[in-house]
Amino acid sequence: MEFYLPIAEMSINPIGFLVLGIIVGTLSGTFGVGGGFLMTPLLIFLGIPPAIAVASEANHIVGSSLSGTIGHLRRKAVDIRMGNVLLAGGILGSFLGIYIFNSLKQVGLVDLLITASYFLFLTAIGFFMLYESLDSLGYFGHKKRSKYYHHSWIMGLPLKIRFRRSGLYISLIPPYIIGFVVGIFSSIMGVGGGFIIIPAMIYILRMPTNVVVGTSLYQIIFITSFVTILHASTNKSVDIILALILLLGGAIGAQIGVRLSGKLNGAWLRIALSILVLAVGLIMASELIIKPDNVIKIISGSNL
Amino acid sequence: MIKKLLIPLFSIFILMGQMPPNIIIDENEKDIRIKPNIAGTEVVLYGAMPSGKKDIIIEVVGPARNISLEEKRRVYGFWLGLGRAEYFQVPSYYNIMSSRKLSEIADQSVFDKLRLGVINLPLGNAKISNTKTNQNIFNKNLKKYMLDKGQFKIGENKIAVKSGPGKVGIFSAEFLLPSNSYQGKYFVRYFIFQNGEFISYAENKIDLKQAGFSRAIWLTAINFPLLYGILAVILSGSLGWLISTIFRRLKIS
Repeated sequence: MEFYLPIAEMSINPIGFLVLGIIVGTLSGTFGVGGGFLMTPLLIFLGIPPAIAVASEANHIVGSSLSGTIGHLRRKAVDIRMGNVLLAGGILGSFLGIYIFNSLKQVGLVDLLITASYFLFLTAIGFFMLYESLDSLGYFGHKKRSKYYHHSWIMGLPLKIRFRRSGLYISLIPPYIIGFVVGIFSSIMGVGGGFIIIPAMIYILRMPTNVVVGTSLYQIIFITSFVTILHASTNKSVDIILALILLLGGAIGAQIGVRLSGKLNGAWLRIALSILVLAVGLIMASELIIKPDNVIKIISGSNL
Repeated sequence: MIKKLLIPLFSIFILMGQMPPNIIIDENEKDIRIKPNIAGTEVVLYGAMPSGKKDIIIEVVGPARNISLEEKRRVYGFWLGLGRAEYFQVPSYYNIMSSRKLSEIADQSVFDKLRLGVINLPLGNAKISNTKTNQNIFNKNLKKYMLDKGQFKIGENKIAVKSGPGKVGIFSAEFLLPSNSYQGKYFVRYFIFQNGEFISYAENKIDLKQAGFSRAIWLTAINFPLLYGILAVILSGSLGWLISTIFRRLKIS
């Protein structure tokens, strides 16, 4: 059986892409990451042109994160107020990100920017999360940390409001800035930004881990909707058929993931995510260091 | 499922049993519409040619497309894709078919004069930036890629020639235009050779068009990009919502 993708202009086997959607969707529902940072490189590897992979993946994440958010809402695991503050910063950040992207595109440095961003974020976050979660399990012989964190001066800035679901009474400014910074990088890297925002919510905002995943998914719905419309109207690179096939698999996977995340231990969940994040980061880095088979390759041109 | 298309050439001559003085081709352009979800369209080119110890070569050149190549360079220990070659006039499809091995039909110098074959296929001027590598090297790599991916094809012995009535030979050549083929005009060129020398030439066109649902999606994306983007978000969101609802209903607890 073959399916024709009208924008990517190629025929694919829908079963393979459905399975791919289920696998990435399960990860996405479990960890609250949109899955874009895994799916986009995989799609490119499978021969989808990079620009179309990035844009269609954003479209796919709209549906999969919506499906995941509904599951988390039902378990009252979404801090909508926090999500809205992050989102407000995120939208502004993605505008700036797209501006940076387009200026570097003209200088021909955009690929380096993307790879470097992936590598820096993935390895830094991966190592930090791995260390932190192993530490919290007592592997480094430190005392188990107090449940009550010392709130730094940042949280005490003006414009304090109450985030009931998260049990926090902190300033609006830190989550807004986090949303903004994540917005910049998520638009450059063509991802929802879950893998950046989740560690930020846990380690900077000190949000309880049970609401982190749902809140992240909630704001990803809107960020990726915005990115999809932007890509469709400027680059005409959203392949809706590809997105819907991935979504069909992805939404099923996300449901499995939501149930899994409720059952798994928080620290082990973070260890698993950190290893995954590190692996993707190292694979991307290895491409920078290992001599390629052929120094010349095709980078754009659909149906190849 | 493969749709077969027959493209007859100057069949009148066959009926009259006369030897065509030259190759004469059907002036009608044929529209080929590709429907989604099929492996492709099988095209059969057939017609008559003078019989005797003659060879035929058919060349099919698809519509032009853009392709960008990247050249990696080592900078401070990192392999960075800094060099660029942007092409704007690369044939999206190329197929050269012949009744015998090309090397048996004529010398390479003859093909070079006729600009025949993959080696002589023009790729247009590339915009090269940030590298000192010249275009010939990029061209060589690009042609190799296209051959590897099956976008360019060499089909030696792919044309069957049978003797027809009178002093007429009937040739037929079959090839597959995959369903991811570009839309537009495919130029077909016919070359007749005898004793290693080129004796006559003809050409015609095939107009390839995608049809159906995929085509409608493509048109919407190109002509109404904002509407398309909004629709894509709505569709993706609704499907996500639908699936989560189905899951909730299924999970009776």
